Amino acid sequence: MAAVAKPKLAQTLPPAAEEERVRSAGLGQIVVSNAPAEVLVAYGLGSCVGVVGYDPTNKVAGLLHALLPQHRYGEKNLAKFVDSGIPQLVLEMEQGGALRRQVIWYVVGGAEMLKLPGATSEFNIGAKNSEMARQVMAREGLTPRAVETGGTSGRTVKVAVRDGAVIVRTLGRDERKL
Amino acid sequence: MTTEPRQTFAGASLEVILERMAALGMQNAARGLSTMLGRPIQMSVPRLSLVPLCEVSSRVGGPEQEAVGIYLLVTGDLGGHVMLILPIADALRLLDMVLEVPDGATQTLGTLERSALGEVGNVSTSLFLNAIADATGMVLRPSPPAVLVDMVGAIIDIIVASAGAISDDILLLEAEFLGPDRSLDMFFWMVPMVGEPVEA
Repeated sequence: MAAVAKPKLAQTLPPAAEEERVRSAGLGQIVVSNAPAEVLVAYGLGSCVGVVGYDPTNKVAGLLHALLPQHRYGEKNLAKFVDSGIPQLVLEMEQGGALRRQVIWYVVGGAEMLKLPGATSEFNIGAKNSEMARQVMAREGLTPRAVETGGTSGRTVKVAVRDGAVIVRTLGRDERKL
Repeated sequence: MTTEPRQTFAGASLEVILERMAALGMQNAARGLSTMLGRPIQMSVPRLSLVPLCEVSSRVGGPEQEAVGIYLLVTGDLGGHVMLILPIADALRLLDMVLEVPDGATQTLGTLERSALGEVGNVSTSLFLNAIADATGMVLRPSPPAVLVDMVGAIIDIIVASAGAISDDILLLEAEFLGPDRSLDMFFWMVPMVGEPVEA
């Protein structure tokens, strides 16, 4: 029996005390966590939109890093698009133990990275992404606590699972809490 | 991924033809840059590969790395995006050469410096495209350059968003310009637009 108990013991060893673990949501990815030591991050959001959700009671955080506003027929990766990614984020957070009505929402990103002389609106994907996030969240009855979108600079957004603190970083500026 | 037969021309695959054309273009651009900078600029052999969208930023030090991107849109017989991308420190070294100041003299990226970087993008991209146009008879027109100073992830959103509308991978033509003594490492990326353009 000892042989069975041993691996169990190894699994229940506490993680390195208080050490933050960073989990990154890459392009077109959703990460959800209820591990207090984890910090979810979306690095370098340009025209992309990051949607953060946090359930303070159940301590579940979720982060979506979406690239484009509108889902295209046949696409399997729902997290790549704002309109399909937000409902998917809600679903995955619920599966992770969050209660939808308790979740606090934040929207970050959607910058206009490029202003080419004579360029068409095709390039202002940032504005389209933030507008789509606004519409989808209104439709889903999700009210963001803070929205930081637009501008012309990239942003990194982090959410700490422990306390739900949402931090935004832009180059050349201090980190700030939303 | 399926292994459907590739289109071939005179026994060479389309990838090989594109890579050879790009090598011609890179040689021409490296020669022009060497003249412009007064230093020997080497180039790497261009590679064409399919890169998953979420891995593109790791090619240049990760999504939060501070970098300079010089972007040009190419229109004509072969459309595409050209992005020259380099870490801030390398951009400052490049500017020392362009502005003919002592090494380490350039410390900030003001209007003059950005405009000089745009010119580097302009010259290298035009020479790159000229060589291909001469060899193939294609008409290729670059837009004026746009210079971005930001996190790598944010910079590449421009090219990734356009390619991402079509697939989860990006068809990336990669090459590098290398300065003397590794003082400069500048990535040259071209993303050919494949198939129908996405509606605006």
